[in-house]
Amino acid sequence: MNRAGFILAMESYLLRKGLVTVLNHIPGTMVLREFNEAAQLIEFLRKEHTDYLMVSQSIFENVAGLFISEPVLLDKTILVTDLPPERVSGNVQASIHPGEGKEVITGKIMKILDSKNMNSAQISSFELTPREKTIVRLVSMGYTNKQIAEQLFLSTHTVITHRKNISNKLGIKSASGLTIYAIVNNIITIEEVTSKPAR
Amino acid sequence: MISKEMSMGRAVLEHHQLLPLFARFNIRMGFGEMSVEEVCQAHDVNADFFMEIANAYLDDDYAPHEDLSHFSLGAVVEYLTATHSYYLNVALPRIESQIHQLLDHSDLSEKEKQLVSGFFNDYKKDFLTHISREEQEILPYILELEMQSLKIRPDQNFLDRLTTYSIREFAQEHDRLETSLKNLSKLIVKFLPPFQDQELCIRVLRDLAELVKDLVDHADMEDKVLIPQVVELENQLIQKGTDS
Repeated sequence: MNRAGFILAMESYLLRKGLVTVLNHIPGTMVLREFNEAAQLIEFLRKEHTDYLMVSQSIFENVAGLFISEPVLLDKTILVTDLPPERVSGNVQASIHPGEGKEVITGKIMKILDSKNMNSAQISSFELTPREKTIVRLVSMGYTNKQIAEQLFLSTHTVITHRKNISNKLGIKSASGLTIYAIVNNIITIEEVTSKPAR
Repeated sequence: MISKEMSMGRAVLEHHQLLPLFARFNIRMGFGEMSVEEVCQAHDVNADFFMEIANAYLDDDYAPHEDLSHFSLGAVVEYLTATHSYYLNVALPRIESQIHQLLDHSDLSEKEKQLVSGFFNDYKKDFLTHISREEQEILPYILELEMQSLKIRPDQNFLDRLTTYSIREFAQEHDRLETSLKNLSKLIVKFLPPFQDQELCIRVLRDLAELVKDLVDHADMEDKVLIPQVVELENQLIQKGTDS
């Protein structure tokens, strides 16, 4: 199960720990790292990936260069600021005011996570593509990767890649597990699986 | 919810869902009027940790307590290991033998029987792989991490390793073991022809549902209690490394 990773960068210990607590109550989130100054944050972001960045106004201003060289980062940024809403930079994903209550902050974070899921994450992480369904079908009928490749005019290597993606999406590795999955999700009927002549 | 002051006997009688925990903590019945805290003390179990697990079991929307630092990761690891051995030595063998019994006395075709028993065999293998990876790689790493964090000067080797390895990688590819079991229940309920032995069929489904619930709670325990605490320790250690 993929979870949304958060980096928290702010000087205030209390603010940081407060936000960690809020995040811990939101399913599907995970705090990756906490920073209390800009230099370490920059160092980290050079090497590592994060889904979201919660950052205080002053650290945000300190690392402005980073956002210019990597604009996608803005879309991942949640600014923690006491500026009035109209003065908050419009380019960031969202902003949180330190005076806001737990419910409000939770609501904002959930909204961001939801909107992301709607776009791509959820569809790509759980649902199989038509091509993948075809492959699951053939696996359920007992075909080997090589036979599937021949049938679909693909290379064996491509079939193996598809099978890896399928396993990652479903969390099911074995052919027998995929067969049961295919039956209960109406990709194949139990008769097709059990009545085929032995090859 | 249960509290430390509550009588342990009452807690169990009111919440039978807690029963599986007693084997894992090796706590025997015969509580008399002892409180939850007293029983834990008598069995050398950290009461805070017991409460955390018990309440996680009772509450589906469980979120961990704000401050988890008052019990050691060693306690968590010990509990997880006991849970693993319950799955491998009790829960899975029981379901397996029930399924075989069910298939033996059924009108299913040979192919259908093969489908189910082959599935369960492969599932057991995947399960074992999952658990041995945790026990041989992840849990020892966590214990080592905790030990290093208690040192004033952590080993440089370990600090170096931290720059390339983190529990986060494990967290992100942490498979959910319950998915396939849910599919099996669905197969029995909706797709296979009816079984002769109704009693046994219901028992299998009930045991499957219980195991699914247990696996969900177990994965929550790993994802919401263990991993955040480990990430926190990793961060502290990295900080220590850069400070020195």
